[in-house]
Amino acid sequence: MGKSDIGPPSYKKMLPAVIEKNYGKWKYHEILKPGVLKHVSESGDEVWTVRAGSPRLVSIDFIRDICDIADKYCDGKLRFTSRSNVEFMTPKKENVEPIIQAVQKIGLPVGGTGKSISNIIHTQGWAHCHSAATDSSGIVKAIMDELYPYFTSMKLPAKLRVALACCINMCGAVHCSDIAIVGIHTKPPKIDNSKVGAVCEIPTTMASCPTGAIRKNPDPNVKGLVVNEEKCMYCGNCFTVCPAMPLADAEGDGVAIYVGGKVSNARSAPMFSRLAIPYLPNNPPRWPEAVSAIKNIVEVYAKNALPDERMGEWINRVGWENFFKLTGIEFTEYHIDDFTHGVDTYRTTTQFRW
Amino acid sequence: MADNDTPLIDELEKGPWPSYIKEIKRAAKKNAAAKDLLGVQELSFQERITHWKHGGIVGVTGYGAGVIGRYVDAPDKFPAVEMFHTMRINQPAGWFYTTDALRKICDIWEKYGSGLTNFHGSTGDIILLGTNTKSLQPCFDELTEAGFDLGGSGSALRTISCCVGPARCEYSCIDTLDICANLTQEFQDEIHRPRWPYKFKIKISGCPNDGVAAIARADFTIIGTWHDTLRIDQDEVRKYVKNGFDIRGLVTEKCPTKALAWDDKELKLNLRTADCVRCMHCINKMPKALRPGVDRGATILIGGKAPIIKGAYLSWVLVPFMKMEPPYDEAKVLLRKIWEWWDENGRSRERIAELIERMGLKTFLRAVDIKPVPQMVFKPRANPYVFFD
Amino acid sequence: MTEGVTEELKDKILKYLGTVSKAKNRDVARALEIDKAIVDKGIAELAKEDKIEYIYLGTSYIQLKQK
Ligand code: HEM
Ligand code: HEM
Ligand code: SF4
Ligand code: SF4
Ligand code: SF4
Ligand code: SF4
Repeated sequence: MGKSDIGPPSYKKMLPAVIEKNYGKWKYHEILKPGVLKHVSESGDEVWTVRAGSPRLVSIDFIRDICDIADKYCDGKLRFTSRSNVEFMTPKKENVEPIIQAVQKIGLPVGGTGKSISNIIHTQGWAHCHSAATDSSGIVKAIMDELYPYFTSMKLPAKLRVALACCINMCGAVHCSDIAIVGIHTKPPKIDNSKVGAVCEIPTTMASCPTGAIRKNPDPNVKGLVVNEEKCMYCGNCFTVCPAMPLADAEGDGVAIYVGGKVSNARSAPMFSRLAIPYLPNNPPRWPEAVSAIKNIVEVYAKNALPDERMGEWINRVGWENFFKLTGIEFTEYHIDDFTHGVDTYRTTTQFRW
Repeated sequence: MADNDTPLIDELEKGPWPSYIKEIKRAAKKNAAAKDLLGVQELSFQERITHWKHGGIVGVTGYGAGVIGRYVDAPDKFPAVEMFHTMRINQPAGWFYTTDALRKICDIWEKYGSGLTNFHGSTGDIILLGTNTKSLQPCFDELTEAGFDLGGSGSALRTISCCVGPARCEYSCIDTLDICANLTQEFQDEIHRPRWPYKFKIKISGCPNDGVAAIARADFTIIGTWHDTLRIDQDEVRKYVKNGFDIRGLVTEKCPTKALAWDDKELKLNLRTADCVRCMHCINKMPKALRPGVDRGATILIGGKAPIIKGAYLSWVLVPFMKMEPPYDEAKVLLRKIWEWWDENGRSRERIAELIERMGLKTFLRAVDIKPVPQMVFKPRANPYVFFD
Repeated sequence: MTEGVTEELKDKILKYLGTVSKAKNRDVARALEIDKAIVDKGIAELAKEDKIEYIYLGTSYIQLKQK
């Protein structure tokens, strides 16, 4: 048997020399232009960073391409951001423009800093996950093609963070993003009772449902389950423990759009994203309905928010009633929360806007 | 498969944003699984549903985590992706790399896998997408020879991640990379051998800007902060103002507690330290003039998670201020107490926040020996239903 | 061998796992009435010796290695 439990290599071996030397001694930074940062150390040292967007699902040849750039200009070191951007760092100012050119030559945009829309955090979708209610890489590509000018510029009121999860598992913490796109099923699971007995544990499956919608099949001749469809909210928990009850449905599956979340503590406390659009269809390859809805929300926000106001701060200032008015999005019964703590969201004051 | 067999996904080769379809096609030139993945993706675009399923037991010897079994539901059509398992590779803290290390991973993945990757998954790991069962062990053995190891999955401690912190950010109040690396090494067994009711995540941000969204997606959230007063360089403040910076409109009026005031007679920025809640806004706006204080540590929060099963939570304040010096024993002791209580009391698939809600914050605090303080709540209770036990 | 982990303990764990289809570490500790921290270590060794394996059914479990 080989090695085990060695853990990842030490970050200390991976740092560029200028970073290692000035570790913990950085004094301030400036954003020189979209995608280009300059950090200044107490020692007087400076480091320039060029940030490039990536498609996240990449081939090893892509990794080799960016390694070539880092070998040429960055002493063989680079890093990634938590949003899958690539960062090239150099202590030499004269390397900045050549790095930008090299990055653009392999087709990558430079940007994603400051008041921009950075890369979309997303999950696996139809490229890899069994519970996906929508694709992820595909719809993300369609959205970023449309929002591209916001990645390469810094003209929004504040930064705008977009995330996508292809089912309501939301692996990826999309629930606190300025704009969150979530794949949703809208039809209850279709139970294949011929397989349930063989591949699922009946008690575990029944216990998995947060609304208690799953019962033993009342027909004593069938060893299987039934779903009370009125109680089902299509969360897919049951499918996660019992593969014989898939929810995927070409007509019923689609995306919902949530807005106004943030994780930073700057000014206002972190907030959840809240429902703006309950359902839009899956329409590959370019999801035109979802893309134009998102673009509309971004444009209305850009036009109306004050400087430094994140999406959720702007909505809190003008009120959700104005959010729906300004964006032209219809408010429906689906927007009213009827889940566990729903009543906390009902208005208990005569103060509101018309 | 001929190039014109995938008209729907080919559409996504167009447009300014870099195309993942081009990337899959690059890999497909060398690898049959990547080629079949194109076909699966086209089929999903046509039928608007996923074609993946999972099941079976896959992994490497000695580990219960780090590999995710994945199978296509139409293996007759796409034999090369009949098995298409994912390997999660624990990233170095802060996602810094030498190109040597990256090239080694590429070479190994060229030999054993599809050649497709995510840099990185939202867990923080390098995600190697797509290999078959018999390649897992040799691939793992070569990765460990190259100095890499698997990350967490299942009901284990998940791969820990952190923001860039002191490596390149002047705001960082703690050594995020060192904490991340230290805890990762300490808890290798917890990462690789799932034993708990469900997953557990630790994320570390150097300051309240929370660059890795620790408050939203980590059960154990570590956020750098300071206990004294933020530092003001009045000369630099005056320079901002002289250059036409709207200090009132952009800074003092936006301070959430109105702790800041600009005195335009004395040309001085005044701070009522007791009212500063360390939100970072003023520092973000004037990085040359304002800095965090010098008495630094972290606020520890507990319970953040995505919506499954009972709804989403943001982490709750547990320890308002903890010094973070190596070897981080205070945090390690606390983590072990939390895990012990959770593992003893948690139901299957119950995250720590759900267990705390079910059994009460009071019970939890007693179990982990932490005294209640007002920083833990926005406000005390309004109802009279107190249990005096 | 890890401190506190004996061949006897590991045999007990294997014997218990022979009586159930799957278990969590804590189930083993409860059944054997042995401190869970020690059981965790024993299970880690058994995993490395390829005598047990992990399954995932909504949450993770261990079972005897299936031949
Ligand atoms: C029996 C039914 C199961 C269902 C329905 C189920 C459900 C899920 C869900 C909800 C996800 C979403 C996470 C993601 O893809 O990011 C997922 C993915 C995953 N499943 Fe399961 N799970 C099951 C069993 C298993 C089994 C047996 C394994 C491993 C052998 C497993 C390993 C994983 C892993 C690790 C992922 C992450 C996939 C990725 O990286 O793309 N699951 N599964
Ligand atoms: C079988 C079930 C599941 C498996 C195997 C699984 C696996 C995964 C995978 C593969 C990722 C990384 C996704 C990516 O790289 O694109 C992930 C991230 C994440 N998962 Fe899951 N997931 C499962 C279910 C869930 C559930 C039920 C929740 C919610 C409680 C959840 C919450 C998250 C969150 C918040 C992240 C992202 C945060 C982070 O970066 O750590 N997952 N999970
Ligand atoms: S969000 Fe849902 S469908 Fe998407 S990868 Fe995560 S679990 Fe799978
Ligand atoms: S999808 Fe969710 S709500 Fe519906 S039956 Fe399954 S577990 Fe219950
Ligand atoms: S979270 Fe704070 S310390 Fe970390 S990178 Fe962001 S601003 Fe810097
Ligand atoms: S950090 Fe935030 S709360 Fe503190 S003075 Fe600055 S703006 Fe006000």
